[in-house]
Amino acid sequence: MSDTPDLSEFLDAYLGEADEHLTNANAQLLAIDTNLRSGAPVARQVRELFRALHTIKGLSAMVGVDPIVAIAHRMETVLRSSDRGGGHLTSEAVDLLLQGTRAIELRVRAVREHASPPDAPRALLDALDAFESEPRAQLASTDLLPLALDPRVATKLAPFEHEEILRAVLAGRRAICVWFAPSTALASVGVTIRSVREKLGSVAEIIKVVPISMPEGDDAPGAMVFSLVALTTLSDDEVAGRTEIERRFVVCVAEPPAAEAEPAAAEADPLMGADDGDALIDVRRSGVVRVEVSRLDQALEHLSALIISRSRLLREITRLGELGVDTRALGAIAREQSRQLKELRASILGLRMVPLTEVLDRVPLIVRGVRRSTGKTARLEVDVGRAELDKAVAERIFPAIVQLVRNAVDHGIEGREARLAAGKPDDGVVRIACAAVGNAQLELRVSDDGGGLDRAGLARRAGAPIPETDAATLALLCRRGISTRDRADATSGRGMGMDIVRRIVVEQLGGELSVHSEPGRGTTFALRVPLTISIVDALTFECSAQRFAVPLSAVDEIIEIDTLRVAYGPQRAGGAVEWAGVMERRGAALSVLRLDAALGLGHRAATGPMRPKGLIIRSDGESFAFVVDRMLGQQEIVVRPLTDPLLAVPGVTGATDLGDGKPTLILDLLALCVRHRGAGARNMSGLGPAGRTEHRA
Amino acid sequence: MIDTLHVVFRVGATEYVIPASPVLGMESYDGATPVPGAPAYLAGVIQVRGRIVPVIDLRVRFGLPPIPHSLDTRVVVVEHGGRVVGLLVDRAREVIRLVREQLEQPPAIVTMESGGFVAAIANVGPRMVMLVDLPSLIGAEEKQQHVQ
Repeated sequence: MSDTPDLSEFLDAYLGEADEHLTNANAQLLAIDTNLRSGAPVARQVRELFRALHTIKGLSAMVGVDPIVAIAHRMETVLRSSDRGGGHLTSEAVDLLLQGTRAIELRVRAVREHASPPDAPRALLDALDAFESEPRAQLASTDLLPLALDPRVATKLAPFEHEEILRAVLAGRRAICVWFAPSTALASVGVTIRSVREKLGSVAEIIKVVPISMPEGDDAPGAMVFSLVALTTLSDDEVAGRTEIERRFVVCVAEPPAAEAEPAAAEADPLMGADDGDALIDVRRSGVVRVEVSRLDQALEHLSALIISRSRLLREITRLGELGVDTRALGAIAREQSRQLKELRASILGLRMVPLTEVLDRVPLIVRGVRRSTGKTARLEVDVGRAELDKAVAERIFPAIVQLVRNAVDHGIEGREARLAAGKPDDGVVRIACAAVGNAQLELRVSDDGGGLDRAGLARRAGAPIPETDAATLALLCRRGISTRDRADATSGRGMGMDIVRRIVVEQLGGELSVHSEPGRGTTFALRVPLTISIVDALTFECSAQRFAVPLSAVDEIIEIDTLRVAYGPQRAGGAVEWAGVMERRGAALSVLRLDAALGLGHRAATGPMRPKGLIIRSDGESFAFVVDRMLGQQEIVVRPLTDPLLAVPGVTGATDLGDGKPTLILDLLALCVRHRGAGARNMSGLGPAGRTEHRA
Repeated sequence: MIDTLHVVFRVGATEYVIPASPVLGMESYDGATPVPGAPAYLAGVIQVRGRIVPVIDLRVRFGLPPIPHSLDTRVVVVEHGGRVVGLLVDRAREVIRLVREQLEQPPAIVTMESGGFVAAIANVGPRMVMLVDLPSLIGAEEKQQHVQ
């Protein structure tokens, strides 16, 4: 793979599609498994599975991931022979196929991580081969058919690829070889191995792409050439014409025997040919569009720009009003528009949400796998309703759920005898449920009806006293290198697990992890995570030489503050700072609060020129202006919630990084307002915390 | 439980130790973002590998006057009860091995005066170090209250 220079541009598309087809393949396999048990027909699922695998194989061949091609090909063969045998599949075959998709997944992941995918496991290939009911006797005659292949290419073809070409040729297709020598000159006009692959892929089925390095020369300006071996029904001239590849680079490898040229190419594979129309209808019916997240982000960005220009519009309307123009109609339109923008924003954010059921659709596979490897009988119950999660959160949380489900089956649920002895049904239950927490968090619960956590054993292994509370047990469980079991095993490994779960939930997602375990009754892990990793538009400003951010949505307006026009009343005893005053605005009194004083910050000079501004907040119909030293700008920020109890202070909701690697606090001015109103005029100075020690410079 | 490995840090003239197991790392310090309304001993928040971490100023916690931070100043990042908290200390360089036998009950006067922060004392060669009680240091009791 390393000698395929521009694989990278191809990769994203490949990875995306491979994932999609793998998911489909797994879903079909599960359906087959279920149907086999209940005796329902599986032909349709086998067909779907075959298509998915075939696509994976084709894609992998195009990017040159040979181990996947080898596995997918053998899986196809198993399905083909099952089809010939009347569509029956044994449970063993399903197991083997699941192992196959797992092996493919691992290799796709390796490609994603830019590692070279490990070779296909020999044992798996052999096991798959052994399932083919029909030996290759039929092909013996075709061995006579010569492939006019360059030896450098021929040696790179795996026997099954060779065989596939022969089969296709027998079935009436032509095998061709297209040569392509990449060069900077060609690349500058957009002709790369990628474009050639795409064009050829549209008129032929690419079996293999073989990169061949050779001395730099006229034939190979880039010191390498690609040989693309493909199957087609078109003539060489047609291929050259339709792909804009020079005719001399298209070489015939094998022609179908004249007498057998009759059968249509589609007939070659009953599994492939069968009712494609059905599949098409399915695609339409599901009404699902795949969209890259970056496009959604882009849409949000455009929306932000729109929100900014709306703020400007509002300012202009205000200015007109101040000039005595009747702006009531304009104002009404602007308000309407604000509401619409808010809705639009919510819809775009909603596009990033994925149903939890979709996130969890591979969990049954995992349970099945662990069930097999541990010999335990466990059943999965998923009851998550229609809950949704932001895609970014969903992607992060999935591995944690997988780990918890594995642990539940492997460590939580007792062996059959123990269960029966305890008077439990022999089928263990692993349950995934969820509940909304407020409107910003979701609590996912993974529970089992097993024996509960073995605190004593855990303490023994950790060399710690036996934990008395669930929280202490969890802390011990999440230590690095702690397992709930003495021996390491293939399913849960040893240690690692809970540590990773905690890291994902707490550190990556800023959530909370807790456990409740009852001896003999089972264990429940609760993962409380934010629905979205929230990104908001925020205003940044400086106050007493400290930077802060407030969500743009919380601020109605930004006004100039002429400090001379603010009237501060008599201050109470001990109220050293004049912090609450009034100013005249549009013929009415506007409450003016100094933010530095409201937060209890000692006054410090601004780091730049002072340009006091008022941020207008509306609370219960009343407007307040918080005075800040100067505005810094407006930008999108990633909100990190402050979860530590030491940081649970009113008016501060989170922190963000404005790019300097240091936290900048995000304020909730409304909470400060409410606090002010709650405190009333009784004790205004009580707002600022008393006796704050000056922070060390 | 006494871990054998302990992290040694200095606050003022005294050397303290905490077990190494809850220590996630030691970070150099160039100021924290103050959090208005937080307890006085909270120096502020810092960002450690993307995570927002509250930093407790042990000088303030131990009733010492503040001093400007230096190149020696460290934040000892610890994890306790699911919380990650930084301890701002004057210096932290050493990790030593302590066995249970080396630890003694602190004299009553120390226990009283330290506000429960000192759990034990130990002789390490010519030096005397104090084992601090992490939960009371980071206000684990306050957390309980908060939760309720």
